[in-house]
Amino acid sequence: MTPTFRLAVRAVMAAALAAPPLVAQRAAPTTYAITNAKIVPVAGPTIEKGTVVVRDGLVTAVGATVAVPGDARVVDGAGLTVYPGLIDAYGSLGQASATPAAGGGRAGGGGAAQAQLAAAAALLNRPAGSAEKPAGFSPELKVVDQLHPDAEALAGPQFAGITAALSAPTTGVMQGQSVFINLAGGDAQAMVIKGSVAQHVGFTPSRGGYPNSLMGVFAALRQTLLDAQHYRDEQAAYARNPRGMRRPEFDAGLEALQPVLARQQPVVMLANQQREIERALDLGKEFGLKVVIAGGSEAWKVADRLKAENVPVLLSLNFPRRVAAPAPDADPEPVRVLRERVEVPKGAGRLASAGVRFAFESGGLAAWTDFLPNVRMAVENGLSADEAVRALTVRGAEIFGLADRLGTIEPGKIANLTLVRGDLLDRNARVTQLFIDGAPVTVRPPTVANAAGGGNAGGGNFGGGAQAGASGTWTVTVLVEGEEKPVTFLLRQEGTRLTGTMQGVLGTNEIANGSATPDGQVQFTAGITLKSGTEEATFAGTVEGNAMRGKVGIVGHEPGLFAGTRPAGGGQGGRPRPPGQ
Amino acid sequence: MTMTSFTGTRPMPTLLRAALVAACAALPLAAQATRVATGGTTLIKNATVLTVTKGTLENTDLLIQNGKIAQIGKNLASPAGATVIDATGKYIMPGIIDPHSHMMSDAVNEGSLSVTSMVRITDVLNPTAPNIYRALASGVTSLNILHGSANTIGGQNATVKLKYGRPVAEMLFPGAPPGIKFALGENVTRKNQQQVQLPGQPAASRRYPATRMGQEEVLRDAFTRARDYKAAWDDYRAKAKTDKNAVAPRRDLELEPLVEVLEGKRLVHAHSYRSDEMLMLLNLAREFGFKVQTLQHALEGYKIASEIAAAGTGLSTFADNWSYKIEAYDAIPYNVAIVMEKGVLATINSDSDERVRRLNIDAAKLIKYGGLTEEQALRTITYNGALQLGVADKVGSIEVGKDADIAIWNAHPLSVYANVDKTFIDGEVFFDRQKDLAQRSEKEKERADLERQDPNQPPGARGRPVQPAVPEENR
Repeated sequence: MTPTFRLAVRAVMAAALAAPPLVAQRAAPTTYAITNAKIVPVAGPTIEKGTVVVRDGLVTAVGATVAVPGDARVVDGAGLTVYPGLIDAYGSLGQASATPAAGGGRAGGGGAAQAQLAAAAALLNRPAGSAEKPAGFSPELKVVDQLHPDAEALAGPQFAGITAALSAPTTGVMQGQSVFINLAGGDAQAMVIKGSVAQHVGFTPSRGGYPNSLMGVFAALRQTLLDAQHYRDEQAAYARNPRGMRRPEFDAGLEALQPVLARQQPVVMLANQQREIERALDLGKEFGLKVVIAGGSEAWKVADRLKAENVPVLLSLNFPRRVAAPAPDADPEPVRVLRERVEVPKGAGRLASAGVRFAFESGGLAAWTDFLPNVRMAVENGLSADEAVRALTVRGAEIFGLADRLGTIEPGKIANLTLVRGDLLDRNARVTQLFIDGAPVTVRPPTVANAAGGGNAGGGNFGGGAQAGASGTWTVTVLVEGEEKPVTFLLRQEGTRLTGTMQGVLGTNEIANGSATPDGQVQFTAGITLKSGTEEATFAGTVEGNAMRGKVGIVGHEPGLFAGTRPAGGGQGGRPRPPGQ
Repeated sequence: MTMTSFTGTRPMPTLLRAALVAACAALPLAAQATRVATGGTTLIKNATVLTVTKGTLENTDLLIQNGKIAQIGKNLASPAGATVIDATGKYIMPGIIDPHSHMMSDAVNEGSLSVTSMVRITDVLNPTAPNIYRALASGVTSLNILHGSANTIGGQNATVKLKYGRPVAEMLFPGAPPGIKFALGENVTRKNQQQVQLPGQPAASRRYPATRMGQEEVLRDAFTRARDYKAAWDDYRAKAKTDKNAVAPRRDLELEPLVEVLEGKRLVHAHSYRSDEMLMLLNLAREFGFKVQTLQHALEGYKIASEIAAAGTGLSTFADNWSYKIEAYDAIPYNVAIVMEKGVLATINSDSDERVRRLNIDAAKLIKYGGLTEEQALRTITYNGALQLGVADKVGSIEVGKDADIAIWNAHPLSVYANVDKTFIDGEVFFDRQKDLAQRSEKEKERADLERQDPNQPPGARGRPVQPAVPEENR
């Protein structure tokens, strides 16, 4: 703790005792002046040496020649740069369920048993989907009702300079509504900047019930939106003339979709690959939705269309990279994957050049300590420093219609500030302090427990070193039709999504419909070619440490088995035999 | 030795054969790499043209303009700016059409319900799947991409042109009538218990129906509901003419495609094996007043050839693939020849990302088993498929005015020595063997370059941290 800051804290305490309560329920507001600092207001040119005045939670003055109010507590900003408080434009911060057990979903000794219990519980709570009530559709859910601020969980993002975030649902297809929050912690209600910001759509099918494939997901989304339109028309007809008409049945889900149909509420669609983004845009076009793309690792390939349709992107900072040296008997990684790892960090610069609006989001990063280094990587790969700072601040506010109160340092705006020793984009920069809602927040270097990032389940370790969840190159033996088939899985887990490639004697195909739970249960489909033809195989199994095993379901065939290993920390994995041999 | 001197009667040199094997094994590294713009006009000179519908034309030229076959004849004049290809000793045949594929789909089965007519293959197409390129390298230009066979009424199909690397919208076959997959028999009843018990699912989740009786009931129920649905909309449309306050019925994406089937606007492609289940479907279709466009697999089709012919239904099967499950045992290689003799429109399909690469050989087998003529055999993988998919006015044979979806082969395509030189779709080259071979070393170099870059280094290499950068004291 710096002497200046210690002084400031003491001053806050004094002020809290002395000042009359201005607003009940709120933390005692007070006045600060950060002086002698370099200021990047984003709304205007950089001020090499100036002062920011903060009062009652708002910025009241900013400039080179601003007078320090008499009642202000002075923070000496010499050597510091003041930025608008950084924004994580998409994640699940502030939710209890999103941060399961310290360590972000580590599979412990009793992992399998716990998973069974969790699965059983899920079954009790959620009936399997049907055409009438598809699984994973809960547009009426609001994250604002589920906020559960946990100071420990906020330490990681705060250390990365993040002061505010969009907190969105993490599972399902039509997932519900996100909330925009300040990351001060403490009172849940006081964190909320805006309650129902956007509707969220993910395209990962549920496990069991309808829909259980990507095709079904699209059909169910389309039917639900059609139903919402029909609901709107029926309600309107009833409102016009209720006499003689049976009243339409109330439906909370369809009711919740009305602002979406009216383009009052944007729809954030999670889509990374080009074809995923194109499908999302097509669906948006079909129903006239106000689409925002989240993830967007290949958004640059669709830049012209995104620009033409004025669709912004919440761009993930979870850049892909090789997580371990592959085992010697693994198939070589597809060039597509090698190329993607090199190309994704270039995406931000390309989107900026194409004039597509984008804001950075943490995207289920394995560690919060990767957040700023990955922004720097985007800058090294062609993004201008200016645009990088915008993508961390004002863009997120603009995309969700909050730029009138957040995202820049301007009088009248919410006093969210990120103070950095040095330049934010410099390798040696260090976030020293935050102001959130005008109150100082001390940042702490993260511990292992709260370094695990993204808040999205599965971002943490599986006891496999730095490997996130099921990610990695797996050498696998598939037992199908009585024969052992050696194959290689190249998997990538981001949150609960699972993507990747299968190679080997069963054919080369991208995996699809993939999902993974925090406790290591994985499921995906892949086309495999057998003697009788090419079939869609459903792989369902469990990851424990660096081993994976499970069953293979193929329509028209006996169920198969699979087992695989991945190298631990660059070591060598051997190709195991599946059980039951 | 040059490529142009090949004929089907001469054995292939070992070196070239090795290169071709490599061609099938290597991944195309960039979708655009082998696509060659022809500038719209291409003159292929002095080829043997297998028109498939109008005989074989020796020493014939073929002119492509604006993506169409503009002229066929001898000694055609080369228009200004035309790309000229000398095809002396080579063969031109229509692009192969595979009437049953699951290629380039990010999902194949929505098997959760007995009726999933609301799902669409077009929603999940992957236009960059490497298998597309391999099919192009085998002279294939169009596919009927079908939903899987997990349930009685599956999803809606996609008829595509294999314009590898183009957006999905450009690959959908313009004007192709929509279709839908039905499935009968074992895959639906799931006698093989192929359904894996998934985490979070109860062990005994057997989806109805469990018998062939049940399958008939599912069909009857679905089409009865579709009739009712259609009636509800007809009522509404009549009422809306006078009553401004009439509220339209709820749109039902499950029943809409079935109404289209009843109205003859959507083609039914029915996975089936046994003659009894095929007869059941044909009878039920007659009862509800629709036509089954094709019976897929239909290994016992030869037993009921006359009935299939009378229903105006086509048959799409394997040349010689059977005995992979109980219902697939009573099969003979003469299936196609027998049903064709009774007047059934028959095709050979692959149902496989691997067999699709040698459908020409499967067609050749029909000459051995059943004595089809060369043209009849070739039609089972070209023109007949175009008829079954409702696109015969555009593709399937080499005729002036049709889409230039063709392939140049270095030998007669029914020869085991035949390989594809170039594949054209809408007059554009989507596969070019010489270009592919020439690009091999470039692609190896690209891989090596990528491997060296930082994001492709494993943790621990070149100072990349093994653990996230958590300060020492906090670990």
